[in-house]
Amino acid sequence: MKKIKFLLVAALAALTFASCSKDEDVKINMVSEYQLNDELVAAQKAKSGNDKAILLVAFGSTWNNAFLAFDDTKAAYEKEFPGYDVYVSFSSDICINRASAGENEDEEGNIVKRDYYEPRYLLHAIGAAKYSEIRVQSLQVIPGEEFAAVVASVKKFANNGYVASAHLDDEYLKHVNIRLGMPLLDNPDVDVPAVAEQLHKTCTLESVDGIVAFMGHGNPDSYDTFKANIRYNQLEEALQELSPNYFVGCVDQPENFKTHVYARMVDAGLTSGKLYLHPLMSIAGDHAHNDMGGDDGEDMDPDEWELNDDGEIEDLSWKVFFSKLGYQTIVPTVNFHPQGLLELPGIRSIWIKHTKEAETLEEAYHSMYPSL
Amino acid sequence: MKQLLSLILAMSTCACHTYAQSTEPSDTLREVVVTGTGTRHLLKDAPVHTEVISRRMLDSYGGKSIEDILGGLTASFAFSEGDMGSQMQLGGLGNSYILILIDGKRIHGDVGGENDLGLIDPHNIERIEIVKGAQSALYGSDAMAGVINIITKRRDKESLTIENTTRYGSYNDLRQHNGFGFSIGRLSSYTNFQLQHTDGWQNTADEWTEATVVHDSRNKTVNRYTNWQLAERLDYSLSRDLTFHADGTYYIKNISRPTDGNYPSCDVYTYNLMYNNASAGAGAKWTLPDAGLGRNRNYVTLDVDWNKHAYYYRYTHRTYEDAYIDGNLEHGIPFYPGQRRLQSDQHRLMAELKGVFYLPLSNTINTGLEYRYDYLNAPMRTESGHASDWTGALYLQDEFDFIPWLNVTAGIRLVDNGSYGMRLCPKVSTMLSAGDWRFRLGWSQGFKTPTVKELHYRYLHVMGSSTFFNIGNTSLRPQTSNYTSANIEYRGSRFTASATAYLNSLDHMIALVNVPVGEIPAGITTAYLGDGSGNVQARMYKNMEDARTYGIDLNLSYQPLSELTLTAAYSYLNTDAHQYNATHDRLDKVIIDGTAHHKWSASALWQHRLTKTYRLGINLSTRGSSLRYYQNNGNGSPFQIWRINTTHELGRTNRKLSYKLEAGVDNIFNYVDRTMHPYHLGTTSAGTTIYASFAIRFQQGKKINTNIKKQTTYEED
Repeated sequence: MKKIKFLLVAALAALTFASCSKDEDVKINMVSEYQLNDELVAAQKAKSGNDKAILLVAFGSTWNNAFLAFDDTKAAYEKEFPGYDVYVSFSSDICINRASAGENEDEEGNIVKRDYYEPRYLLHAIGAAKYSEIRVQSLQVIPGEEFAAVVASVKKFANNGYVASAHLDDEYLKHVNIRLGMPLLDNPDVDVPAVAEQLHKTCTLESVDGIVAFMGHGNPDSYDTFKANIRYNQLEEALQELSPNYFVGCVDQPENFKTHVYARMVDAGLTSGKLYLHPLMSIAGDHAHNDMGGDDGEDMDPDEWELNDDGEIEDLSWKVFFSKLGYQTIVPTVNFHPQGLLELPGIRSIWIKHTKEAETLEEAYHSMYPSL
Repeated sequence: MKQLLSLILAMSTCACHTYAQSTEPSDTLREVVVTGTGTRHLLKDAPVHTEVISRRMLDSYGGKSIEDILGGLTASFAFSEGDMGSQMQLGGLGNSYILILIDGKRIHGDVGGENDLGLIDPHNIERIEIVKGAQSALYGSDAMAGVINIITKRRDKESLTIENTTRYGSYNDLRQHNGFGFSIGRLSSYTNFQLQHTDGWQNTADEWTEATVVHDSRNKTVNRYTNWQLAERLDYSLSRDLTFHADGTYYIKNISRPTDGNYPSCDVYTYNLMYNNASAGAGAKWTLPDAGLGRNRNYVTLDVDWNKHAYYYRYTHRTYEDAYIDGNLEHGIPFYPGQRRLQSDQHRLMAELKGVFYLPLSNTINTGLEYRYDYLNAPMRTESGHASDWTGALYLQDEFDFIPWLNVTAGIRLVDNGSYGMRLCPKVSTMLSAGDWRFRLGWSQGFKTPTVKELHYRYLHVMGSSTFFNIGNTSLRPQTSNYTSANIEYRGSRFTASATAYLNSLDHMIALVNVPVGEIPAGITTAYLGDGSGNVQARMYKNMEDARTYGIDLNLSYQPLSELTLTAAYSYLNTDAHQYNATHDRLDKVIIDGTAHHKWSASALWQHRLTKTYRLGINLSTRGSSLRYYQNNGNGSPFQIWRINTTHELGRTNRKLSYKLEAGVDNIFNYVDRTMHPYHLGTTSAGTTIYASFAIRFQQGKKINTNIKKQTTYEED
């Protein structure tokens, strides 16, 4: 039987013609993407004459209001960091693909197509353009899984480890000043109270009028990278010191789904009244519009709700969930959209502060495990 | 209710068929079938109950595709056409339980469990035979729902044939068949080139996306596609008793999706889809010396076939994806417009040795040995990049006419699978004949090991803004089935009627079902989260605790006049499936996707020779279905559709050159299912469409044999 099988496999191998997407083809594609970014960055450097660069790294979005928030953030950085060229990158491939291909309309109905690039390509280009100082700023909220990917990418760049023959000048890399700006809620003792204070500043009236719940993302179950999920709990504690009406839950944090937030509200005796919902994410994209403020689950009655293994009810937005539980839910909007954290100047300035305080890569790398 | 009334009306005014329909009463009695037993039988005497879509039905219906034909001319099938192919159902069971044969050979290839029926040229079909349940020992115990055997047109070897059929209809729907056949000495050749194209259509611009309904989505109900196939078959007769054949096909299908939509998350795509099939085969048939049994001569055949089915993305816009480079998974790898990337490539190698022996005392033995090797190459969609499986089978079947009015056909199939070991599957059919009446009882056991894809394949399936992560499951167990059927049939010269009740009980039925995120294996969570939207529904192949499908099929055909044939078919189906819910420690009732309780079809065909050189045919037909049930994305609405097809045969039948014109209107009353994307539709019909086709055929030499009335020894090899 073995012999027959061998003969059959050999026959198959002979008949199979090589498909495309071999390693070599893929590398050629990568090289051309490096080249494209190299040209873009070289042109910008030549135009501005700047010798320092800042690379902002966000997960990404396909929403136009999010694109505008990134534009405003870039502008704020350019104002705060004269002498620096500022670049924005997305770490999500799907967001990049869709933002680039989509004809996303702005508020006036104008068509918006945005080309964003992965950090690796822009970092390579920044290196190829030989900026003397590079500050990579994570636009993540917690130092979790997404931030870990940013760190890995920067580390690879610093080690000249990009694949596909995209080697940079080793001599340059030895001397270039690479710094890494930490996520928003990096330090529990400094950042958490500062963010709480800024959120309270924005939502004071709401917290007097009713309950205010923030929806973050969170590290997914069993993947609590750097145990960063705890920041959401710490933020809720800090906010509740300012008003007992604040709550912080997540889309993807075990023990902190909307059902758990509701349980805490009930424990606190808050079982009705107005409930203001805000995203706790850098921009207001899919999660803010759908999971938080969407109509998912509107056709389900509470007796049809079914808890999954993690104690969450799927396909049910926060707005619908809390409305059906008797709260008067309100999703405050500005220009018809919920507001992401980058759109709050006070919060944005905390990120800017992190960029200013950015440590050298090695220091950042060793200090990034958050203290609990 | 309106549909039920229409059905009653249809059934009372006409009658129906899935059976041979013709203008000549005797035709239906002379129809020959081969699928149930692998040996030739008159339809009315077939020991295993067989449904036939005859050449005449095909000619008068004017179907554009095999889906159109099977959906319109029987009540047993339900289809949902998608980009990946056709989701087909027979007796409540989907594609992977239905074996589709072309001249007795399994077609190959599926993506997500769907078959690309574009491989079948609708203009090259002689007839279609349908055997339900795992009743045929010959064609695998894995055909738990049944076998569809598509018999292609046979051409005599002495003839030169040049033929072209071109059908054109609404939405730039083009179907073309070109054939060229010739014989030189002992060698004969037939080359077939077919082309199918549609611009596609959009039944609704409404789409549920981003938790809201948008009204200007550009997603089509059926996307634009073009496919073509080149096929060649060579036959060589070394002697009267020894013949050889070789065949090969090459097939390409390109599907275009909107790139200019308004919503990146639902109607903007950065790549199109492409399929590439190829096959090569060779075989021989040796007819053993005459042992004095008249025309029933023993024979042995040997066939070896290789098939390939590859699936690619063809990029229309720069697209970042994951890829393995030097063995490491890298994100953000760009693919550029014009490039294509392999998603999966399935290969199959089959070898079959078969013999039919006519023994004394009215015994016919049919026995064979089969070996099949499957190989899946899917770098990004399997854990190790590839997977394989082999299955060997030995079968033996005896047809025994105990007494003239009682036939018993018993078979066993011994299956040996590389991963799941051996299993013996018995099957028995009995037929009792009394005048024009036939009573048949059938029982068969099926055994189906998980496919390579069900075990190993995984991919994100984006349906508009709904994203499903479909995951193979290496812990699957084989499925087994017990199929029992009872059939009563009357087949007179003008009236035929048939009723079949069946029960198909499956143990460990494999289905793609929703699972909580926690069940996703840790190693592939990253791929699952790749979408980033957090709105992904995980679905995994699971063994259900039990599943039963049961129903009744009715078929009627009546010829009140020699030129008028009325037919009706009705199919009732119910299902009962359960799955263990570990979270709540209970058995949950599970919907088998795509099932409908009631389906029906009916037609009235009038054919009349107006002059010596002109024959007119008019066929009014209808088909419909009650609500179709689905686990996700809503149920499919009930529908009923009417069609009128006219055929105009020009010229004398014995001339070298013949012409045929066909024109019709499909979906006369413009029924359109406008359920918003991405919810399920009852039918994807575009509403009223018109079409016309013109066929021209030149034949030189001996008359082409286009029917099977000739009493020659005919097997489906």
